[in-house]
Amino acid sequence: MLIHLRKPRGGRRAAALAAAVAMAAAAGCSSASSAKQDESKPLEVWIRQDAGSPAAESAEALTKAFTKKTGIKAKLVAVGVTDFETKLQQRTAQKNLPDIVINDTGQLGNLVTQGLVREVDRKGVVGGNEIVDRAWEAAQGFDGKYYAVPFNSQAFALLVRKDWRAKVGAEIPKTWNDLTKLAVKFTKDDPDGNGKDDTAGMVIPGTTTRGYLTWWFSTMLWSEGGDFVTKKGDGYVPAINEPASVKAVKKLQGMFCDSKVVQPGASTADSATTHTVFESGKGGIYLTGPYMLPRFDASLGKDKYEVIAAPPGAGGRAALAEGENVYLMAGSANEKSQQKFAEFAASPAGQKIGLGVDNGGIIVRLPVNIKVDGTAERRDPRWEVFQKVYDNAGRNAPNLPNWSNFRQISSEGFNGVVSDCSRDVDQAMDELADEFDAELKKQGAKAE
Amino acid sequence: MTITEARTSPVRDTRRPRRTDPPLKMRLRGAATPWLFLAPALLLFLYFKIIPMAQAVGMSFEEVRPFLGNTYVGGANYSEIAGSPDFGAAVWHTVLLAVAQTAGSIVLGLALALLLEGQTRGLWFVRSAIFLPVVTAMAVVAEVWRVMYYPAADGALNSVLSVLGMGPSEFLNSPDSSLASIAFVGIWRGAPYDMMIFLAGLAGVDRALYEASAVDGASRFRRIWYVTLPGLRPVFAILLTLAAIRGLRVFTEVFLLTNGGPDGSTEVLLTLTYKLGLERNELGVAAAGTVLLFAMLLVLTVAARLRRKEARR
Repeated sequence: MLIHLRKPRGGRRAAALAAAVAMAAAAGCSSASSAKQDESKPLEVWIRQDAGSPAAESAEALTKAFTKKTGIKAKLVAVGVTDFETKLQQRTAQKNLPDIVINDTGQLGNLVTQGLVREVDRKGVVGGNEIVDRAWEAAQGFDGKYYAVPFNSQAFALLVRKDWRAKVGAEIPKTWNDLTKLAVKFTKDDPDGNGKDDTAGMVIPGTTTRGYLTWWFSTMLWSEGGDFVTKKGDGYVPAINEPASVKAVKKLQGMFCDSKVVQPGASTADSATTHTVFESGKGGIYLTGPYMLPRFDASLGKDKYEVIAAPPGAGGRAALAEGENVYLMAGSANEKSQQKFAEFAASPAGQKIGLGVDNGGIIVRLPVNIKVDGTAERRDPRWEVFQKVYDNAGRNAPNLPNWSNFRQISSEGFNGVVSDCSRDVDQAMDELADEFDAELKKQGAKAE
Repeated sequence: MTITEARTSPVRDTRRPRRTDPPLKMRLRGAATPWLFLAPALLLFLYFKIIPMAQAVGMSFEEVRPFLGNTYVGGANYSEIAGSPDFGAAVWHTVLLAVAQTAGSIVLGLALALLLEGQTRGLWFVRSAIFLPVVTAMAVVAEVWRVMYYPAADGALNSVLSVLGMGPSEFLNSPDSSLASIAFVGIWRGAPYDMMIFLAGLAGVDRALYEASAVDGASRFRRIWYVTLPGLRPVFAILLTLAAIRGLRVFTEVFLLTNGGPDGSTEVLLTLTYKLGLERNELGVAAAGTVLLFAMLLVLTVAARLRRKEARR
């Protein structure tokens, strides 16, 4: 275009004005909230639950009970499940964090590295001795210090279609090999009897999003005696290319490539998809947490499936243990009340509200407080299975400075071998071990 | 184009020496008026575009820890992202996807435009129906296609394929077909948009040329080749520039359909950046990635403009 804009005579002045505005804006951004203490300040409590869900209601009840008991005002914000981390990043950028965040134990390393959470004095927590050790372990950072107060724990167990198992005439699986055989029967023998080849034995969220595949595979890897990393002296070394680990990954690849017992589309499926696969009767075995029971009772029917512990493999029994912690966020203007909230949430009163027995909003799956008997409160023996798995075989993710990066990297490595059946597992795991090694170095956790 | 001519017209030149300059105050006011009108938009631009962009450039040289404070790391972020094999693969996938989607959309869009050009009654309805994918939210489109691409034999598209004696295909679920499946969704969505622009362009082609070539005995294909396509040259230029930029920025459909998987076969620049920045919290490295993308887009746009200028001469 040949239209020439007339050169504005006030150009320099306008530029000066723009610069002034920019400086004012920058100044506005950088004023961080001071941590001057004020005990009358209400607490802002964030939980990773969708607003309006029964779980959010339970969290609301928990905050209200806390206010009633202590007189400290607290406001609950149910931040959506899917974009919780993004929202938290936004508040981090504003240097104005919520006072309390109830979030996954797996986020601990991330929060500590970014300096978003305060250290907690385990001995100074009122009622801290009533909290089980395994839950405390999930609140511990790489440096051995505690950065949260446990709130909820859970372990994973298998949900198996009881009616299908009766139809194909199989026993409850006693080993991982039995389990794979059952999955083959579920895939091939038309257990739903509709005459079509449309059932899968194993339901697996195999996407790399949020590291889902690793999350699912951890239980199998540990049961078979493998591991991601091993502790050596003060640090860690990769263990994913050790023989036992490689063998487990080969078995995983076999499920996708040889016996083909996984549901179609497994390598890109997230958990929202796999929940649907199981409840719509397209899959028979689903390794998941107890929080799914209410949903599947309603959609599939309580009599259609059973809860069994994952069978022992070459390495004995192991199951991924996880949970949620109450994180005391940095920069709070009311640190005393922060700790009081965490203490209340872990106390018998707080835990009982979190069980959500009345409204189905389960934010405490397995209580972290030894004085609360979850199974008795719920009057549902299936919860006992999860409790036993947690107590006897539960295993927390390795205590690395930032586990979530390892979860992400490893899920990409595993996804590679299940999406490409011709890939050599030994070589792929050697490569993954190299990536682990680089990440360990980066995080300063590499054994000398 | 005519404005410059008007400005340099002799009338103004003869009048000018006689006129005395207006007083300073008025001159200032005259200069300030357009800026005042522009101020609201400029302020919004400054706050929501220019400052964040400048911050992103700054972040790309830092290790970003929003709460603890950033530390300057020089070019380390750039060497990390440019040196990683993931980045190379992502650039390659992005370019492949951009080329495939752009070419596919333009060819299909042109074909649709030629078929649906004209005033015939009822055509507006067909055109609107075909345009629907463009106005539908990408999230909805992606979800619908995920369902259609269901990789089992009884999936929607696989049922169609089996009627034709093909398939079943794994579609999004196999590293061999995932990128093509995403490109197909992109073409399905992009073609109607291109069609609309082509339709506008076709309206500008001189009818007399068609008649003349018909009189000369040109076949239908030759009329398209020698009359329509040359007439549409400016349209192609615009579409190619727009499509290239759109193609390199591809995110939503990939994020929703595969999120880079399986086995990283559909990882594009922006999904990689998203993962680095928001899932692995390496915001500095992610910022370096976006700055590189910005540089690429800038070079591409400037090159396209220069070429067009050249072509005009």
